[in-house]
Parts: sequence; C-alpha cells; structure tokens
Amino acid sequence: MKVTVVSRSGREVVKGGIHLSDSATVADLQEAIHKQTKKYPSRQRLTLPVQPGSKERPVVLNYKKSLQDYTSGNSDSLTVVFKDLGPQVSYRTLFFCEYLGPLLLYPVFYYFPVYKYFGYKGERVIHPVQTYALYYWCFHYAKRILETFFVHRFSHATSPLSNVFRNCAYYWTFGSYIAYYVNHPLYTPVNDLQMKIGFGFGILCQISNFYCHIILKNLRSPGGEGGYQIPKGFLFNIVTCANYTTEIYQWLGFNIATQTVAGYIFLAVATFIMTNWALAKHRRLKKLFDGKEGRPRYPRRWIILPPFL
Amino acid sequence: MAGFFSLLRRLYLTAYNLTLFVGWFQVLFTVLKTLKDSGHENLYHAAEKPLFFSQTAAVLEILHGLVGLVRSPVTATLPQIGSRLFVAWGILWSFPETRTHVLVTSLLISWSVTEIIRYFFFGLKEAFGSAPSWLLWLRYSTFLVLYPTGISSEVGLIYISLPFIKASEKYCIRMPNKWNFSFDYFCAAVVVLGIYVPGSIHMYSYMLAQRKKALLKSKKE
Repeated sequence: MKVTVVSRSGREVVKGGIHLSDSATVADLQEAIHKQTKKYPSRQRLTLPVQPGSKERPVVLNYKKSLQDYTSGNSDSLTVVFKDLGPQVSYRTLFFCEYLGPLLLYPVFYYFPVYKYFGYKGERVIHPVQTYALYYWCFHYAKRILETFFVHRFSHATSPLSNVFRNCAYYWTFGSYIAYYVNHPLYTPVNDLQMKIGFGFGILCQISNFYCHIILKNLRSPGGEGGYQIPKGFLFNIVTCANYTTEIYQWLGFNIATQTVAGYIFLAVATFIMTNWALAKHRRLKKLFDGKEGRPRYPRRWIILPPFL
Repeated sequence: MAGFFSLLRRLYLTAYNLTLFVGWFQVLFTVLKTLKDSGHENLYHAAEKPLFFSQTAAVLEILHGLVGLVRSPVTATLPQIGSRLFVAWGILWSFPETRTHVLVTSLLISWSVTEIIRYFFFGLKEAFGSAPSWLLWLRYSTFLVLYPTGISSEVGLIYISLPFIKASEKYCIRMPNKWNFSFDYFCAAVVVLGIYVPGSIHMYSYMLAQRKKALLKSKKE
C-alpha cells in the first residue's frame, strides 16, 4: 500500500510517499514517518483530508487501527494530512511541574523571613490559622501530585511543551500571590468558628474529590482503551463534572478559613477555566449518548456547580 | 425584522464612528492651534475635554465586540483600549505633574491622527458599505509609524510619572485589613510597563497581519 503524506497546505512531507504492507497499522505508518522526518509519533497528528471549504472536522487517525480501515474501497493508496504538534511532554511531567511549584513556594513564605525584603521589620507572630493553612495547602498539592502518579489515567499521552511554561506560570504565580497574603505579618485572621467551618468543609471536599478521581479512573481500562463512558456513582449521579465541583468547593473552604482577596481571585479564575472544560465535556457526553440506535441516553444532570449550573 | 435591525446597527455604528471622528479631529485641531499660539506646556489643558470624551467613549468598542456588533475580537480591543485608558486616566489625569511634558505632544498627535483615520474609515464603511482605497491604505499603513511613536510616548509618560506615583501613595490599599488585601499603584505601574514590551510586539504583529489581509483583499476586488 502506498501512503502519500502531505502537509496542511498540500505539500508532500515525505517525498515519493511511503510503501507499507497491506496489514500495516497507523502506528507502523507513524514509525515510518518518524524515520523519514525525525518527528516522533506523539508529535504527529495524522488526519484524513477534507474537502477545501468544508466546515467538517477532519477524522484523526487512531494509532491502534489498521490503515485499511481508512481506505475507502481503493485499498492501494491513501492520502493523510500530517501536522507537527511540536515537542511533547507526558501529562505526568506536565502535572508534576505545575503542582511542585505551589507545594514548594508556599512554605517558603511561612518558614523563611521573606517579608524582610518587602520592607517589614520586626518579629512575625504566627496565627494558628496560618499554620493550619500551610498544612491544608501542602496536603492539597501533595494529594494532586500523588494522584498524578498513582490514580489518573490520561486520555491523551502527551501535551505540547509550551503548555508546561504557560501552566507553570499560572500555578506558581498564583501560589506565591496567595502565600504572600496568608502568611503576611499584618494578616488579620477570621474568627475561630469561621475558620473551623472553612477548613472542615474544605477537607470534606478534598476527600470527596479523591473519591471522584477513583471513580473516573475505574471508567477507563488500564490499557487506556474504552473511550468515553457515562460517569456513575457518588456525586456523579448529580453532576457531570463532580471532580471539578469538589475542587472548586474545597478552594472555597480554604478561602472561608483564610479570607484573602488573592485566594478569591484564584477561585474565580479557576472556576471560569473549569466551567469551560465542564461545558465541553457535558456537551460531548450528551452528543455521544443521545439515546438513539441502542446507545444509552445521557441522564439529566447538573454540569459543574449545583444549584446554579 | 432582521433588515430593520441591520439598518439600526448601521445607523448606530455610523453615528458612533463619525462622532468619534469629530472628537479626535477636535483634539488634533486644538493641539496644532495650541502649539502655534502658545507652547506644548498648555496642550493638555487645551485638549482635555475632547480627549477624555473620545478616549473614554472607546469603552463602547469593547462592548461592540462582546455583543457581536463588530467582528474585532475582545482580545485585540481590550489591551489596546485598556492601555490608552490607563495612560489617559491613570497617568495624565491622576498626576498633573506629567501634563506639561513634551511627550504629551507626540502622544496626542499619534493618538489623534490614528483615530481620525480609523473612525473616518469605519464611519464611511458603515454608511456606504465601502471606503475609498486611499483611506483603506492610510488606515492600514499609518500605524507603521504612529504605533511606535504613540507607544514610546505612552511608555515614556508612565516612566516619568513613577516618582510621583511613589511619593503620592495614590490609589494604594495597605494591610492590615479584614480582607487581607493590598494594592500598590507603583508596583502595578511597573508591571504595566513590563507588559508593554511583549504586548506592543504582539499588537504590532497583529496589525501587520491585518494590514496584509486588508490590502490583499482590496487588490482582489
């Protein structure tokens, strides 16, 4: 079989095409492109060509499938569109870098005399809520790192390297910004009851969040196959993205206990980002499980923030 | 019904663009007249009213993009108009010490010439469906010079206002307070200056792309 590899502008990427056996898979094709172009498989995005001007989304080739599955009757030749996604890193690396920043930077503000450099002299009296906040914060990010390695199963293996810089800038800056205020020598604590309610509610949400991640993990088989499924059980019976719901509410708990504007800004930004993801996922699940031709129908649920959305 | 709304939209956008065209024309006229009659120290005082009217009205442009009245994306209009408003209200209006500086001259000339051409172009386009090709060329070419002069005047004015900002403590919020918040206008101004570097490069290349698109399209027609 002859495969013609073209770029999105129509230029031939591999001169003369690639000749493969008739039983070759997409993975074999990717290996062959790798040899010719030095672009490793996870960098490659292979699609079937679409008619120019058509608004349809191109079909992305699945590396597990056979090339025969993509030929329409004419089994001797196939044209695929190649796009270089740029350098890639695994999702584990990405998440680890993101979360390591806040985990290490926050304690710096608590333990070290950094406020000296911001012009504050004299001894710092540490309020109990600042100590609890430190434990809460570190527990949260340690949990996220451990989940990254031992719980999460990723639908995509890799992410572009540029995301590492963007996401690290986001997490590290916000982490330091919040840490600056919570550990500030002129920090004003809230009353004892409000602190206990905030941290109590937050811990409850973190535990629920962990349970949500276990449920999500069990939706996917270890091989990474299975595609999308209807999440069921626990809070997923009420909300499509219960994992985001609990994440948002645990930050709310932290903010109730520590009461900083910086923390609430972070909460607002994070809620906005996760809501966009949740809307997309809800839409995808509703489209996938439309109740037609024997497919189950996606049940009526909140999307992310009951009782609002 | 749809026809009625599109007519209303055109009428409104024509009126909006031509009003601001007149506003910025008044700014330029006042600037030139003041330069001739007295000197650059009096520029701000003479042009203050039309300047703040026209520049503040540009907030509507962000809204136009948000509600879909015009196609320009909010990611392009927001930084452009936000930075202008910051220099106008946050620097010139808030710190009178900067108003007599010579950079105010280059600032106001760069701003007003750009805006006169831009609003006239869009005003004619909304009113008649097209604008003369020389105006299109001006709209997508003058920025090549006026962008650098305008931006360097903005950066220069922010820079010379820094000592006054620091001394005045204006707009600052200090700890301790119940919401554990603080705001330092001096730090904010420094951060804005930092954003100007990548921001202006980004905006300039965005305008270069727009220029290429617009001029190519007009050639085809």
